[in-house]
Amino acid sequence: MSYSNLKFFIVEALTNMRKSGVMAFITISTIAISLILMGTFLLATMNMEGFLAQMQSEALVTAYLKKDATLDSANTLYLRLTSLEEIENVKVISPEDAANELFTNPDDKKLLQIGLDNNENPLPFTIRIKIKNTESLEKILKKLKNEPLVDSVNYGEDLYKQLEGMSKLLWIVSLIVVILLGLASLFIVYNTVRLTLFMRREEIIIMKLVGATNWFVRGPFVVEGFLEGLLASTMSVVVLLLSYNFILTKLAELIPFFNSTITVEQLFKLSIKLFMMGIVLGVSGSLISLRDINKFSRSTALYEGI
Amino acid sequence: MIELQGVSKIFPNGVRALNNISLKINRGDFVFLVGPSGSGKSTFLRMLFREDRPTEGKILIDGKDITTMPESRIPYLRRNLGIVLQDFQLLKRRTVAENVAFGLRVIGTSESVINNKVQEALEQVGLSHKRRMYPTELSGGEQQRVCIARAIVNNPLILITDEPTGNLDPMISQEIMQLFLNINKSGTTVIVATHNDGIVRKLRKRVVALVEGQIVKDEEHGTYAYE
Repeated sequence: MSYSNLKFFIVEALTNMRKSGVMAFITISTIAISLILMGTFLLATMNMEGFLAQMQSEALVTAYLKKDATLDSANTLYLRLTSLEEIENVKVISPEDAANELFTNPDDKKLLQIGLDNNENPLPFTIRIKIKNTESLEKILKKLKNEPLVDSVNYGEDLYKQLEGMSKLLWIVSLIVVILLGLASLFIVYNTVRLTLFMRREEIIIMKLVGATNWFVRGPFVVEGFLEGLLASTMSVVVLLLSYNFILTKLAELIPFFNSTITVEQLFKLSIKLFMMGIVLGVSGSLISLRDINKFSRSTALYEGI
Repeated sequence: MIELQGVSKIFPNGVRALNNISLKINRGDFVFLVGPSGSGKSTFLRMLFREDRPTEGKILIDGKDITTMPESRIPYLRRNLGIVLQDFQLLKRRTVAENVAFGLRVIGTSESVINNKVQEALEQVGLSHKRRMYPTELSGGEQQRVCIARAIVNNPLILITDEPTGNLDPMISQEIMQLFLNINKSGTTVIVATHNDGIVRKLRKRVVALVEGQIVKDEEHGTYAYE
């Protein structure tokens, strides 16, 4: 493509956008709204996944020993566990320490003191284990459950499974939203370009009469789609980044212990994705509506009312 | 230059617009195509710039069969043709100069060449002083001259015109014909479909008469009569 062609396409596209301002506005805002919604869902999914990954990476397994376990037997188990390479660190909590952790209220502590004086501390020895990586979680859990000294094992399984389910659901909803909004935007772009084609049919017929190739006729429309997609994605990225904190606050209200794990780099990547999506939507919407441009002629315009 | 071999055109509704036409037009010829309304003149011309394809037969331009030419080559065929139609087909949102330049711009001509060629073409049709005006500010005759300027700006080998004086008064029609004669003198083949018997009679050029899709007369220095 020569420089003069490109210049012609850009000038034509900008002129058309200015002259058909309302239609350009409809196209741009439709793509922008779709991208904002897509971006919101993607951000939510990314946050959820990050949160889950963080939860997994910080997985603490708590093993409650049987009531008859002694400090010696607890220490033996401690030594066996520290020798395992999957384990980062192990801590033995005595029933007294556990009780201290549990009852932080001074009144409760008094009650505890009475219980301890009577040698009635109901809490068992506890072993807290931090695992190096989550892949070995299952293995360690199995190992602990097979230990005769271990009564029960807890690793926040219920909360994790609940959040994991939510995350999967969010991911599926996001995917559906992205596809549906993408199709809706494509449909709007397709129709506005179709309408523009109808309005500019005379111009297109003349272009073809004087020897413009089909690709040349398509050029300004494709550039217009590109520019509209670019403008829409710029708008959506600005809106999303500005409202990001607000969205995070809302998510934090909805999900307990929520904490954003998204980095600046991830936000940058998301912005690039939105730019790409906007441009792809604008350009492909134009291209689909221009697919039959070779049938566009003076006679078809007259006979078929194009 | 242009050769039609047994060309027929039957429309999907069964109307036979052209019926087994064979004709040769040489380089530099000036041909009037005459005939009553519905005789097939416009269909004949549309075949020449591949706006339409014949149902039967061949059309050769410079030895190339344009009836089988792939769709992608049609723009390049049209770059060698100048086309002027009855309904002026000017872009109302563009100035006279932009309308003429449009023909060059869409084939990727550079800006400096465009300016010179547009000026030349507008001078040829006597409208260089109105280059900045819009089509709606011009008279019918002037608008048709702008169309002619756009058609000749690319120095076409063949100028195809369909009722170019259809909406114009006799005086202006004569001016337009004079323009065609000048263009023809520079070597361009000119084909004019017309109902204007006065001009045909006056110029005494080759006349091809069509009636009901068939050639009923082909005279070297003919008149308008076709019955």
